[in-house]
Amino acid sequence: VFSVHMVGEGSVSICSIAGKATSSPAENYLLARRRTLQVVVSALLTESGFESAEKAAVETLTEMLQSYITEIGRCAKAYCEHTARSVPTLSDTVVTLIEMGFNVDTLPIYAKRSQRMVITAPPVTNAPVTPKALSAGQKRTHPAHIPSHFPEFPDPHTYIKTPTFREPVSDYQVVREKAATQRRDVERALTRFIAKTGETQSLFKDDITTFPLIAARPSTIPYLSALLPSELELQALEETDSSEQDDQTDGENTDDPGADKENSMLPPSGVVPSTKASEDNVIDNPYLRPVKKPKVRRKK
Amino acid sequence: MSNEDLYHKVVGYVELTIFPTVVNLNRIKLNSKQCRIYRVRVNDLEAPFLYNDPTLEVCHHESKQRNLNYFSSAYTAAVSAVDPDAGHGELVIKVPSELWKQGDDLKVLKVYIEFSLDQPKGGLHFVVPDVEGSMAERGAHVFGSCDEKMKIFSCHRFWFPCVDSYSELCTWKLEFTVDASMVAVSCGDLVETIYTHDMRKKTFHYILPIPTAAPNISLAVGPFEILVDPYMHEVTHFCLPQLLPLLKHSMSFLHEIFEFYEEILTCRYPYSCFKTVFVDEAYVQVSSYASMSIFSTNLLHSAMIIDQTPQTRRCLAQALAQQFFGCFISRMSWADEWVLKGISGYIYGLYLKKTFGVNEYRHWIKQELDKIVEYELKMGGVLLHPTFSGGKEKDNPTPHLHFSIKHPHTLSWEYYKMFQCKAHLVMRLIENRISMEFMLQVFNKLLSLASTASSQKYQSHMWSQMLLSTHAFLKSISNVSGKDIGPLIKQWVDQSGVVKFFGSFAFNRKRNVLELEIRQDYTSSGTQKYVGPIKVTVQELDGSFNHMLQIEENSLKHDIPCHSKSRRNKKKKIPLMNGEEVDMDLSAMDADSPLLWIRIDPDMSILRKVEFEQADFMWQYQLRYERDVVAQEEAISALEKFPTPASRLALTDILEQEQCFYKVRMQACFCLAKIANAMVSTWQGPPAMKSLFTRMFCCKSCPNIVKTNNFINFQSYFLQKTMPVAMALLRDVQNLCPKDVLNFILDLIKYNDNRKNKFSDNYYRADLIEALTNSLTPAISINNEVRTVDNLNADVRLILEEITRFLNMEKLLPSFRNTITVSCLRAIRQLQKNGHIPSDPSLFKSYAQYGHFVDVRIAALEALVDYTRVERSSGELQWLLSMVQNDPVHYVRHKILGLLCKNPPFTKTTDSALCNEALVDQLWKFMNSGASHDWRLRCDAVNLYYMLFGLTRPSCLPLPELGLVLNLKEKKAVLNPTIKPELGVGAVMDTPASIGIHGFNTMEDEDIDMETVHDSQAFIHHHLNLLERPSTPGKHTHTHTHTHTHTHYIHVLKTLLIQFSAILFIWHQITTTVISMYGPYEQALGNSGKEKLPFNRKKPAKPASGRGTHLPQLVGGEGD
Repeated sequence: VFSVHMVGEGSVSICSIAGKATSSPAENYLLARRRTLQVVVSALLTESGFESAEKAAVETLTEMLQSYITEIGRCAKAYCEHTARSVPTLSDTVVTLIEMGFNVDTLPIYAKRSQRMVITAPPVTNAPVTPKALSAGQKRTHPAHIPSHFPEFPDPHTYIKTPTFREPVSDYQVVREKAATQRRDVERALTRFIAKTGETQSLFKDDITTFPLIAARPSTIPYLSALLPSELELQALEETDSSEQDDQTDGENTDDPGADKENSMLPPSGVVPSTKASEDNVIDNPYLRPVKKPKVRRKK
Repeated sequence: MSNEDLYHKVVGYVELTIFPTVVNLNRIKLNSKQCRIYRVRVNDLEAPFLYNDPTLEVCHHESKQRNLNYFSSAYTAAVSAVDPDAGHGELVIKVPSELWKQGDDLKVLKVYIEFSLDQPKGGLHFVVPDVEGSMAERGAHVFGSCDEKMKIFSCHRFWFPCVDSYSELCTWKLEFTVDASMVAVSCGDLVETIYTHDMRKKTFHYILPIPTAAPNISLAVGPFEILVDPYMHEVTHFCLPQLLPLLKHSMSFLHEIFEFYEEILTCRYPYSCFKTVFVDEAYVQVSSYASMSIFSTNLLHSAMIIDQTPQTRRCLAQALAQQFFGCFISRMSWADEWVLKGISGYIYGLYLKKTFGVNEYRHWIKQELDKIVEYELKMGGVLLHPTFSGGKEKDNPTPHLHFSIKHPHTLSWEYYKMFQCKAHLVMRLIENRISMEFMLQVFNKLLSLASTASSQKYQSHMWSQMLLSTHAFLKSISNVSGKDIGPLIKQWVDQSGVVKFFGSFAFNRKRNVLELEIRQDYTSSGTQKYVGPIKVTVQELDGSFNHMLQIEENSLKHDIPCHSKSRRNKKKKIPLMNGEEVDMDLSAMDADSPLLWIRIDPDMSILRKVEFEQADFMWQYQLRYERDVVAQEEAISALEKFPTPASRLALTDILEQEQCFYKVRMQACFCLAKIANAMVSTWQGPPAMKSLFTRMFCCKSCPNIVKTNNFINFQSYFLQKTMPVAMALLRDVQNLCPKDVLNFILDLIKYNDNRKNKFSDNYYRADLIEALTNSLTPAISINNEVRTVDNLNADVRLILEEITRFLNMEKLLPSFRNTITVSCLRAIRQLQKNGHIPSDPSLFKSYAQYGHFVDVRIAALEALVDYTRVERSSGELQWLLSMVQNDPVHYVRHKILGLLCKNPPFTKTTDSALCNEALVDQLWKFMNSGASHDWRLRCDAVNLYYMLFGLTRPSCLPLPELGLVLNLKEKKAVLNPTIKPELGVGAVMDTPASIGIHGFNTMEDEDIDMETVHDSQAFIHHHLNLLERPSTPGKHTHTHTHTHTHTHYIHVLKTLLIQFSAILFIWHQITTTVISMYGPYEQALGNSGKEKLPFNRKKPAKPASGRGTHLPQLVGGEGD
């Protein structure tokens, strides 16, 4: 039984279409197994007192048995891979069976029951050979410095660059032209869209669509958008000179005042100032000092 | 009670310790405006007090007078009446009689004042972004309060009672209680920060041990982000939330400025700490106070911005220079202001020279010189050191101005800027005379004296060393240098005006002599006569030679012997002034003369304008070979008059020369455009600058496409920005912008690619839009047809397309300082003005609203002002004027009036339907009482009034009923002064008594048809009269009536002048509680401010009161 489910998932789909008479060795192999399963099912039926069974019923039961075994195999494999092994052990199978609701303790008794029938082993057939992958070109032989026991080179197409190019668009003028036109088109389309979907102003009273202007809208804090660089600009800056930033001093600066500000907002707890003091014994600035608590005057 | 009400409220408490220096101290006068005073105590005794602010309403009692002469004199009188330097103030406290004895023993008096400030219009400025939404959201905003900040500007009497004078020094202890999320930044050292008992607020305790005058005290409160300077831990920077990265970058070089000043002055920074605060809606870009400076938040920038960087550095350097001279050392009196402005401007100039180079420095000096010359020639002289003979101001030193220069508060803003500009130029003249080493020694001496004095106790009488007067400065100069700079001071400081030279020359071949003629114009307005040495530099073939000539009364001609014979065929290098030897192509020059070029006063050691005549080839040589940028710039402006191929070549060569100073090259662009236009019929080759631009900035392989932006070289960046703008000014024979120039600019816009650039291209793009604007020419209009999209010119359509796209993109990706929107708005106005699109103000109105970035608003307002003038629209004028009155941002209000002055809808000489009685009344009311909270705004309004209506009665007003009035004093009938025709300046000078701008003589005339006399004038008359009598201390009888209004007493004083000139206020202790969120005091204080502030104004004084008895006499004596 266990040797069967080693086949794993792959076989399931193949089994289900195995009804068709074909003669490839892989299919023959599978058909033989299937036939054994059918024998098993028939034996079990006989054992339980059936004298005859319809073909369809046997087929169904065989299918069920096969699925059950396949599931045990899949599951056991999953368990074994989970523990970073590649070959399932007995315990994997046991855990699987438990997981599937099977009482493992009953298994030895069942196996040793008296009325069990012994079935002949399935005929020995050749294990299916994986068809050769499409090979293109000549495989390279190992150069002299690589020992022959090393794996062979893969097919050349997997590593060889095959330059296939169209008419080259490296003409600088065309590229610039294209980039410029594209950007302009995008910008125009975008602004027109925004203008169409929102409020607009117009320079002409009679025609409000030819040159639509997105309406000016006052903001609550106008200096923020005017002074802070936009995300696009920041991105561009990062791309152009990520190396030039002197991260070190920058990083230091960001940490200190930010952290201190937070501290100054919080009521000073015992912990915060002490860690602070150890950090910046260099910088003594009155604005970084923690806020004092008021003196308690109530003496009642 | 709305939230805003709660926001804009300050409750405070001031404690002053006064050491009387005279016996008989019964009255204490302080400055205070718009504060509501609850209670005053002197040494724990309730003290009665009087609050009278004559500047609230300058001219009282609806008068038919609407002339500026009258207003100016009344305003000056009102300011004088509360001038702290003369011992006056708005708040008069009577010392309780129980303490008189103590005062006579010269014992310490303590004055306690409780006050509050409700919705202040000036002084303190609250910025509270208006967050829309339900009350819950608003409430959240209030408690979170992350957006509130405030700042203060110069006029301190606006926010706490004090002696608002630079000459009254004292030490300070300041306490501010603010919400726990806020930081209060003020002058001096932060000693500690303590929570209030409910833990919801914090109190900041500051101590300023260095004696400081009240105007140098300031405060800023907001949810600031804090940055300790990484190089100098005593320096702390503050900015508004989210701007910390910008702050870090912008402040990263401040330590260099510190080091520079400390090194040249060989003096440590005088305060123990320094704070910079960046606030929104700043009154001015830079303002310096003791140990702190307040800047506009718009100065912050990121590392990507090129153009803003030098500007921000300049602002920081200015602020720091003022810390030494202006804050630490302050002025003795208003007349000494020029010394401090001069020194701080001068050392700032030294910083410029060191940081930006000698070229930049000389360029800047030339710019400043041109500015002051232009202003003085247009508006009349700027007087640095006005002297007023005693109390009488009969001889007005500046009769040509429509305002008085006696007080800083009556000064036009523009005049004050020019005043500062002239002050540092004069300081530079002094340096030229005595050398920089001596100059710095003088500064060092002044500083060390002051710092010694500052550590002394008040009793040692040393503090006056911290005040600088003209006299002390000059004395120090003569001590250090041993040189007499008297004539220089007399010429430039005690006298106003600049010198205007006209020069021409002839070469006398026989004598080998250069005959130079220098004439002067000293009769037109703003000029003065110069007598003294002048330097002339002559570049000859054999080298450059300096000659010192003496300008004397009657000699115009000067003979200068030449060193070299003309010798054109010898191939020899020509030595220049700087020792360099160059090859020149001498074929252009005159065969008989060895002169290459001549320069008059090359070092700018006279405040002058020189119009010098020399041949075009000489200018061209000067441009090409003179190494001084000033000479090059002069040559460029001169070459505009010589549109020849040779000039073109010289300019093109300069443009291409990379060693040449970039600002010279930028100027050359514009000159080249002008020359090209003048030579349009003979111009050969492609449009000017086009091939040059292509060579410098376009791709080698495809010359119509500009390279992707790389602004790493700033010189070529500035050139790349400028050339298209200048090229767009080119015109063809039909006076249109050439088609290929327009296409070229459109291509620049199209192919602009900034992806690989580490700098932002916003200024470049803005300049490309400006180039498009410059290319516009008036539309050809047939029968005034209405402008529609269909009849749009094809080129204009392309331009409009670009502008629309730019303006729309800006909404999605705003550029730094919204430079692109600004350029677009200008372009749209230009399109309207040239008749391409219908003229319509509504777009500009929406951009002018509060809530847009300030630069955008100003650009929109500029367009609106222009619209108002062109279309003569009274609706828009009204709109602008209402904005002047109601806008939350002081700078915008100031700017609108400034723009209206620069581009007035009409002037006194032109007729306009806009000029009507209602407008006169409106402006008058605004000047008279509407702008009482802001000196600058009031002076702006005065400027505008002057611009629109002139000095005398506006022409649109109906004539007064009485043509003649009886002058009882002179016992004759005179023409009613209200209908006097306007006289020219010369006429004013001839008859100063008849129509002086201010002064009591004219006031007496003008008082005649007033129903009653203005309070403050009465005050002054009265006290001046008193002054003339001998005073007998201690024997004055004080008649005062107790008019009981709530808890206050009205007192009328007689002896103010005598006593207050000698009082010193020393230990100034302030406890100010800034209530930002809650208004628990609101209820307790039931009284309304209206009743209190002018409470002695409307109610007629009781007949028994001192003033009451005097007023009728005054009026009766001169009235009808």
